[in-house]
Amino acid sequence: MIRAHALTKRFPGKDGDRVAVDGIDFVVEPGRVTGFLGPNGAGKSTTMRMILGLDAPTSGTVSVNGHRYAAAQAPLREIGALLDAHAIHPGRSARDHLRWMAASNGIPTTRVGEVLDLVGLESVAGQRAGRFSLGMGQRLGIAAAMLGDPPVVVLDEPVNGLDPEGIRWVRTFARQLADEGRTVFVSSHLMSEMSLMADHLIVIGRGRILADCSMGDFMTDHAASYVRVKAPALTEVGRLLQSRDAEVEMVASATGQGSELRVTGLDAPAIGEAVAARGLVLHELTLVRSSLEDAFMALTADSVEFHAGSASLQGSAR
Amino acid sequence: MTATSVERPSTTSPRPSSGPGFGAVLRSEWLKLSTVRSTWWTLAATFVLGAGLTVLICWGNAEWLAGGDADESPGSFITWGMMFAQISAAILGALAVTTEYSTGMIRSSLAAVPSRGRVLAAKSLVVTTVLFVVGTLTALAGYAGGNYFLDREGIGIALEGDMLRAVVGGGLFVAGIGLFSVAVGFLLRHTAATISVVLALMLILGNMANLVPGTLGEWLVKLMPGNAGSAVSMVVPFNPMLLEPWTGFAVFAFETGALLALAHVLLRRRDA
Repeated sequence: MIRAHALTKRFPGKDGDRVAVDGIDFVVEPGRVTGFLGPNGAGKSTTMRMILGLDAPTSGTVSVNGHRYAAAQAPLREIGALLDAHAIHPGRSARDHLRWMAASNGIPTTRVGEVLDLVGLESVAGQRAGRFSLGMGQRLGIAAAMLGDPPVVVLDEPVNGLDPEGIRWVRTFARQLADEGRTVFVSSHLMSEMSLMADHLIVIGRGRILADCSMGDFMTDHAASYVRVKAPALTEVGRLLQSRDAEVEMVASATGQGSELRVTGLDAPAIGEAVAARGLVLHELTLVRSSLEDAFMALTADSVEFHAGSASLQGSAR
Repeated sequence: MTATSVERPSTTSPRPSSGPGFGAVLRSEWLKLSTVRSTWWTLAATFVLGAGLTVLICWGNAEWLAGGDADESPGSFITWGMMFAQISAAILGALAVTTEYSTGMIRSSLAAVPSRGRVLAAKSLVVTTVLFVVGTLTALAGYAGGNYFLDREGIGIALEGDMLRAVVGGGLFVAGIGLFSVAVGFLLRHTAATISVVLALMLILGNMANLVPGTLGEWLVKLMPGNAGSAVSMVVPFNPMLLEPWTGFAVFAFETGALLALAHVLLRRRDA
């Protein structure tokens, strides 16, 4: 379990301090994959470095299994981390990299072979890590994280730069670790990736927690949905639905031909029945769910550090 | 290449009351040092430069030294190559630290061993020990080869007294330079900057201090780390201004210790 309390990190800068992490509280529970989601520069990596004692918090605390990371006798047995696939000397072989790490925590050398096997790198273990592809580097980083068979695993952007097969492998692996009862904390700036991997979401933007809930709740709360209605007598249908307490908005069709209604507050079957009872004709009745990516964008729109022009996705609806 | 089985984590977090000790950190630092090629290249360079140049200069000057008009002592030549061995020793010490920063590996290191003092101490001890052994062997090989030519001219030096001290001193000096470089490496965290600063201090500023007039200049020459530390590795120094061997080495050790203490403070304080 990872527990952060009022965790804050400020970096001194020329024009005042820059707040990277702004007094955040969260708990990462065992037995599930917790996604740590936020745009680039939101404070994800800084938070992960503070968990591992690499950066000192300006104030607040973060503990792993109930104590400060630096107090751990054999930290690799408590928490395994993939922070950066390049945190490896390119001239050293994969096996030697794992050997020095194992030695530092009194982990038997036999474990090195086991984790190499686990990530499927045994055949290239003698090669210099500098020759590894990005995907192989990530696997080596994950092997290092698993050296101490830790109950807590932290993966910072594990799918960055991976091919589809590698992404699927990481996803399955994280899933499996959580199913075994471990605490799994995975960061990403890709909502689509998180939606496939995580059970629980912690969304961060500009150093603050924007959401901390299950994936399902996140969908319900943030992924807006509406029913699209097309009909020859659109105005009449609209008035009818409004009389049934639905919110109705008439917009130009995305196809550019005619108009459509966007109805919220009344589900598709109810709309269909109401319209049929009045003897009107429908051409389309579709439930439209905005993607998680849209929900994430909407949630973090105000907290993205560098906008690429206006990122408003709702513009077309007006 | 799919993960088929991951062993179950132990339900209670495995926290042995006495975790792996300093010996474990030492072993890991030795593995780090011995598993990159640059270590073996720099150690080979230390030996070849240190021993080879000593033999070469003794071979070239033995006849002149044995003649009546020589104004230098054979004792100044018999460990001469160590002046160059210090360059590769400085590079070894720097690389042991700065490649961790340039590759980002320092984060793996400090995550594996959160006690930063231990990392600094273990790395220092491993680099110093390796360089002491290689440095002493280098001085010994240089002596054996160089003395062969001096002996032929009848001016050989017995391996006792100041000569023995200079051989062991060669190891100490080279080890000290390596340690000095380790400290500077942790301070600057950059390979080129570290090597430049150490070599400039040892070789260039050490000589340029001569240009400062008066007793101030004299003392600067005596106290510059490269000068203070080198006397212990020579039977008869070329530079008559140097401090006595052990006094000089004590000054050098103090300077290195001060830098290490500063490196320790900053390593603990800075974010990795």
